[in-house]
Amino acid sequence: MSERKKLLKQIQECDFVLYETALFLDTHPSNRAALQNYRKHQLKRRDLVETFTKKFGMLEHDDFGGGISWSWVDSPWPWESEKEA
Amino acid sequence: MWKYDKKLQYPVKIKNPNPKLAQAIMSQLGGPDGELGASMRYLNQRYSCPFGEITATLTDIGTEELAHMEMISAIVLQLTKNLTIDEIKKSGFDQYFVDHTTGIYPVSAAGVPYTMAYIESKGDLLTDLHEDLAAEQKARTTYDNILRMADDPDVRDVIKFLRQRELVHYQRFGEALRIAQEKLNAKNYYLFNPEFDVKQREETLKNKPKKF
Repeated sequence: MSERKKLLKQIQECDFVLYETALFLDTHPSNRAALQNYRKHQLKRRDLVETFTKKFGMLEHDDFGGGISWSWVDSPWPWESEKEA
Repeated sequence: MWKYDKKLQYPVKIKNPNPKLAQAIMSQLGGPDGELGASMRYLNQRYSCPFGEITATLTDIGTEELAHMEMISAIVLQLTKNLTIDEIKKSGFDQYFVDHTTGIYPVSAAGVPYTMAYIESKGDLLTDLHEDLAAEQKARTTYDNILRMADDPDVRDVIKFLRQRELVHYQRFGEALRIAQEKLNAKNYYLFNPEFDVKQREETLKNKPKKF
């Protein structure tokens, strides 16, 4: 697995935990364990995204870190299959 | 508003094309119990929803369904890559191909274009939540049927993920229904419609228990 894929997978896993925890918090808004779990993964995600975007470009517009090219337009797009990506 | 995140919720990496299977899976994009309908159902129902926990649930699940639409589209796209005209004709995919080539257009497996008539936004919290619970089960059944037809492990892996999400959503909507019933008159929660009978609703909100 390339470094890009490995890092992206870690971000996807982290985002899944964040989303799943958020959905749980919607119906359990004062669950302390869930709130702590959200915070923990939120901080972890921040580090992962910083590493990813420095090397491989943006995942969101807000990831733009300056420079002379808008990497948003670069492949791979998420639906592109293995071979092309 | 929404922001686009340039990645899938769960990776889709399919090596072998299979246009016949693509046509079946297409139903989870544009069919009666597909992800497009799911997303439209929840995102439209949420505006008149009177309780924050439930508005949040509808918003977040409705948003996740958009991500599932993208995953189904990726599956269909990858299953229809590099096909010859012969393969297209033999598989039965020619009926889709003639109108859409290998572009993504939301239709059911039988070729019926997506319609908002598949879903309901009734403006009554309890009615809508019951529709949502049923919708998650219907989507689960469709994924079960796809798993009965699909042999390719690359496809099955993604479909199993999506199927599992239906169960989680069903669980959350069940909790939403319980919250709604507790916040309304617990002895007769059909007494009035909290999305329409404003005066009654205000009284209910005033008297609501502090903790749920």
